[in-house]
Amino acid sequence: MAAQIDPAERLLNLVIALVNTPGRMTKEQVRRSVAGYADAPTDDAFERMFERDKDTLRELGVPVLTVTDPRHGDDIGYRVDPDAYALPPVQLTAGELGVLALAAQLWQDRSLRTDSSRALTKLRAVGEAPEASDLVAGLAPRVRAGGDAFGPLLDAVQARQAVRFVYRAATTGEVREREVEPWRLLARRGGWVLVGRDRHRSATRSFRLSRIEGTVRPVGEPGSFPPPTPAELDEALATWTAGTERLAALAVLPERAGAARARAVVPDDDTPAPPDLTDVPGVERLLATRDLVHVPYRSTHELAEELVAYGDAVVVLGPPELRAAVLRLLRTAATLGGGGDDA
Amino acid sequence: MPERASDRLLRMLGMVAYLDRHQGVPVDEIAEQFGVTPRQVLADVDTLWVTGTPGYLPYDLIDFDATAYEQGVVRLTESRGLTRPLRLGGREAVALVAALRAMASALGPLLDDEQARVLRSALAKVTAATGDAAAAVDVQLASTATPQVAAIIAEALAQHRRLRIRYVNTRDEASDREVDPIRLVSEDERTYLLAWCRSADGERLFRVDRVLGAEVLDEPAEDHSVPEAAAVFSPGPEGELVTLHLASPGRWVAETTPAEAVRNLPDGSFEVDLRVVQPAWLRHLLLQAAEDVLDVRPARVAQEVAQVARAALAAYGPGEG
Repeated sequence: MAAQIDPAERLLNLVIALVNTPGRMTKEQVRRSVAGYADAPTDDAFERMFERDKDTLRELGVPVLTVTDPRHGDDIGYRVDPDAYALPPVQLTAGELGVLALAAQLWQDRSLRTDSSRALTKLRAVGEAPEASDLVAGLAPRVRAGGDAFGPLLDAVQARQAVRFVYRAATTGEVREREVEPWRLLARRGGWVLVGRDRHRSATRSFRLSRIEGTVRPVGEPGSFPPPTPAELDEALATWTAGTERLAALAVLPERAGAARARAVVPDDDTPAPPDLTDVPGVERLLATRDLVHVPYRSTHELAEELVAYGDAVVVLGPPELRAAVLRLLRTAATLGGGGDDA
Repeated sequence: MPERASDRLLRMLGMVAYLDRHQGVPVDEIAEQFGVTPRQVLADVDTLWVTGTPGYLPYDLIDFDATAYEQGVVRLTESRGLTRPLRLGGREAVALVAALRAMASALGPLLDDEQARVLRSALAKVTAATGDAAAAVDVQLASTATPQVAAIIAEALAQHRRLRIRYVNTRDEASDREVDPIRLVSEDERTYLLAWCRSADGERLFRVDRVLGAEVLDEPAEDHSVPEAAAVFSPGPEGELVTLHLASPGRWVAETTPAEAVRNLPDGSFEVDLRVVQPAWLRHLLLQAAEDVLDVRPARVAQEVAQVARAALAAYGPGEG
């Protein structure tokens, strides 16, 4: 038996044949004349091979057009129009390619990695010279994987197609099916989030991808729900956008809480205003033995969660909502293991 | 694992488009351009050379200058209509543009003017070539708490120089160390420096927000090869096994810590098994999650956390504690 032609070589021959055909090629013509297809031992094997190859080409961005010819009745032909798949004119410098190569490594998600490395291969064709990596030496930004739900959700966002999935709500522990119009996928501190409209509740909701159980299935046709208005989208994303910068005032024991001290600023005209400490109970007593440290922050609960780790080394003087958040965490923690008798 | 046919096809199509724009390129340079070995380039050219339009007679085939090829230079003489570079598919554009945007915002403070300019122009060119598809995904990486420190680390990496850092550990103890920086890893959660620590004589991950100060030394950094996985924090099999029983809203604990096992219980609560090397880390976790903690095994751990919390409340003074 003659050596089989490598699948990549067969695919390449198919592309060249369909690009150069004067009108169109039928399946039979492909089987008879394109190198590689004669390897198929049966009609079924050929059908499978040809269908798979067409899918592969379309997935790679080479659109295989279907052409019918009235003179041939039902007989379907195929061709590829090179202008339809061409990248708009662009040329990339070695440094720009280096940045793109770094970007392609950002994703730890397997499907996103495949997509970004394909994009990189395509762009290398229009690079002036091999990528220069020294520009970004040693930097390694990366984003954790979104899990199995990610790929189908991304497709659905792009196609504007509703999806259905089983979701475990953290607030109640309830496990229930949801039907969602997907708007955006966000990578934030702590993981991936889908933002969209929950059809059963007729309201905007956020879903953590890690809490989706089982498969994500598309519902209805692509393009079947209206895109969110800018106002709706802004409102939905507000929860996931960092707040304005404020200053926290902390009373810190000498030589402690080094990591918090490293971010400290001296309040002046360029910083947000420091909190007013006049009514804070015990502030004079505290500052007799502790340093007053001002730390900029945006998220109250994130800073509160960081500061409780310092135990008695850090007392929050203000703002009041940060102090309350830390006290609430400490009071709850004080009751763990049956404690809390002196609270 | 053998290369996928689709990946090889994509590269060969890219090579024809590239060679159509660059007349006569040495094999080594093509290898570098496409990130493969010179041997692979030769295999790809050999395949291209026998592909073409049906008939496959000499004038039907993709062709190269044979004399140049003998001297290791690839010169395309017939492209059979494959000169157009492929446009980016929707998901490809999303994957790349979203990554570039995230990098631009996270690495911004670490880059010098030239680096920032190149990043901006790459983003502008790719966005122009792909349209607005990338809006589907929005990524925010950890912002570096102290840009000055991160910038010094980035400078040492760029110049391959040794660093002296002042580092504070989870027990809030500061120490000075000399390290050879390897990579600066920016994640969604926080930024780490992967470095060879000379006092520990091994690779260590340092949280950049715990680096109190950094100084680039005159000595060059030594090269240390470390496995790719070294940049991922994972606890070893050593360490105490601690089981937390948490109410459902505490689910983030299972999602953000390297848990050994998670068991969902019928009432919506769940148990998570953790290997704990640093008791200070566990105490911190429990202080944050206290509202959702139903039980801790061993019980001693919960009592220790309660003690820390009571001491902290006492520091606030009467009326608050």
